Amino acid sequence: MGGFWITVKLTSFALLGGIPLGILVGLGRISKKKWVYYPVTFYVNLIRNIPLILVIFWFYFVMPIIVGRPLDPFPSAVISFIIFEATYFGEILRAGYQSVSKGQIEAGYSTGLTYVQTTRYILIPIAIRRMLPSMITQSIVTYQDTCLAFVIGLPEFVRRTTIVDNIEVRSIQLFGFVAILFLITCYISSVVSRRFEVKRERGY
Amino acid sequence: MIEIRDLSKWYGDFQVLRNINEEIKQGQTVVVCGPSGSGKSTLLRCINGLEPFQEGEVIVDGVSVGDRSTNLYKLRTEIGMVFQRFELYPHMTALQNITLAPMKVRNKSKKEAEDKAMELLRRVGIPEKAHEYPANLSGGQQQRVAIARSLAMEPKIMMFDEPTSALDPEMIKEVLDVMIDLSKGGMTMIVVTHEMGFAREVADEIIFMDEGKIIERGTDISFFKNPKNPRTKEFLDKILL
Repeated sequence: MGGFWITVKLTSFALLGGIPLGILVGLGRISKKKWVYYPVTFYVNLIRNIPLILVIFWFYFVMPIIVGRPLDPFPSAVISFIIFEATYFGEILRAGYQSVSKGQIEAGYSTGLTYVQTTRYILIPIAIRRMLPSMITQSIVTYQDTCLAFVIGLPEFVRRTTIVDNIEVRSIQLFGFVAILFLITCYISSVVSRRFEVKRERGY
Repeated sequence: MIEIRDLSKWYGDFQVLRNINEEIKQGQTVVVCGPSGSGKSTLLRCINGLEPFQEGEVIVDGVSVGDRSTNLYKLRTEIGMVFQRFELYPHMTALQNITLAPMKVRNKSKKEAEDKAMELLRRVGIPEKAHEYPANLSGGQQQRVAIARSLAMEPKIMMFDEPTSALDPEMIKEVLDVMIDLSKGGMTMIVVTHEMGFAREVADEIIFMDEGKIIERGTDISFFKNPKNPRTKEFLDKILL
């Protein structure tokens, strides 16, 4: 059960770091300044085209060479996840921003709203409502992906279960329990997410 | 009310507006027609400063739109605009769509803004839809809410950019009726439309644009019968089928 706690902690840190960094990445992706847009786009394309497991692996084995000392698996995994998830959250943010029609913004301007007012009352609320379902989905995916941290020996839930299994040899019960726990937690989250989507179909 | 002098605009190398001259007096309704890409929408957007222009002058109610010192936000409170695709805010009810700008820009109280909004919704014929979201309204209803939203700022001028082009035929009339009422009530209006019935009924002047130029103008139905320019005739034949 201690492994489950590590999984939850890893997910929380990954989201707490990944979402704010993702916001910055998203802003970079919609920036008109070329020196912001191109580096950020390069980062996003690079990371999104590498499997997560490789990012974790690489970070764990390459960073010590750069920093000069070995890293603990946990902080290393957290940072890998933040770097990886930020690109996805950034893309969700960009898509949400771009889904707001230019006409709706202009409608705001044409009634005399200022730039700040238009952004505050029209752009941001619409974009957030469009983004929420994919944000929640991505958070669930992050939670499930935390298992991949086993490659660097992090004793998260699945890894811990493997260890117990090696001692007790009750694979079906043990992994069945892990699966059920994942199933329950993910199902609850997706129910929450679906409520937002239903609301959206109703026209917010 | 609106004076346009030698207005020219380019998108990069492409000239969208060529030496437009036009004067619109208070209470007049001017209908602008012409093929797509002829610069009609761009002309409207230059008048309320949504698009910058490179040459010429646009003066609205004594204020020069192109002047750097002009407060465009303030200017736009005087000019209502209605779009082809309605552009209602999808996360707000009809009522909230209408009250947003009066509350934020004119600092009206919620009650005051809502009373005014309800009055406008009655005027456009859909007071019962006040608490519906745009997604639950038909196109014609959405467009009438959009008109009410513009009117809530009590503008001196109303601009319509193909307000019925995205509507099903049976809804066009309900929107046109609202516009005809407005025009007869003395509102200064610029309307980009191909609804010639509307033009016949209320237009004080009809302008025909092609390739960024005004190539024909007339004050009444004679414009339709014997256009001077062959390009106009060709176009009118198409839309009057």
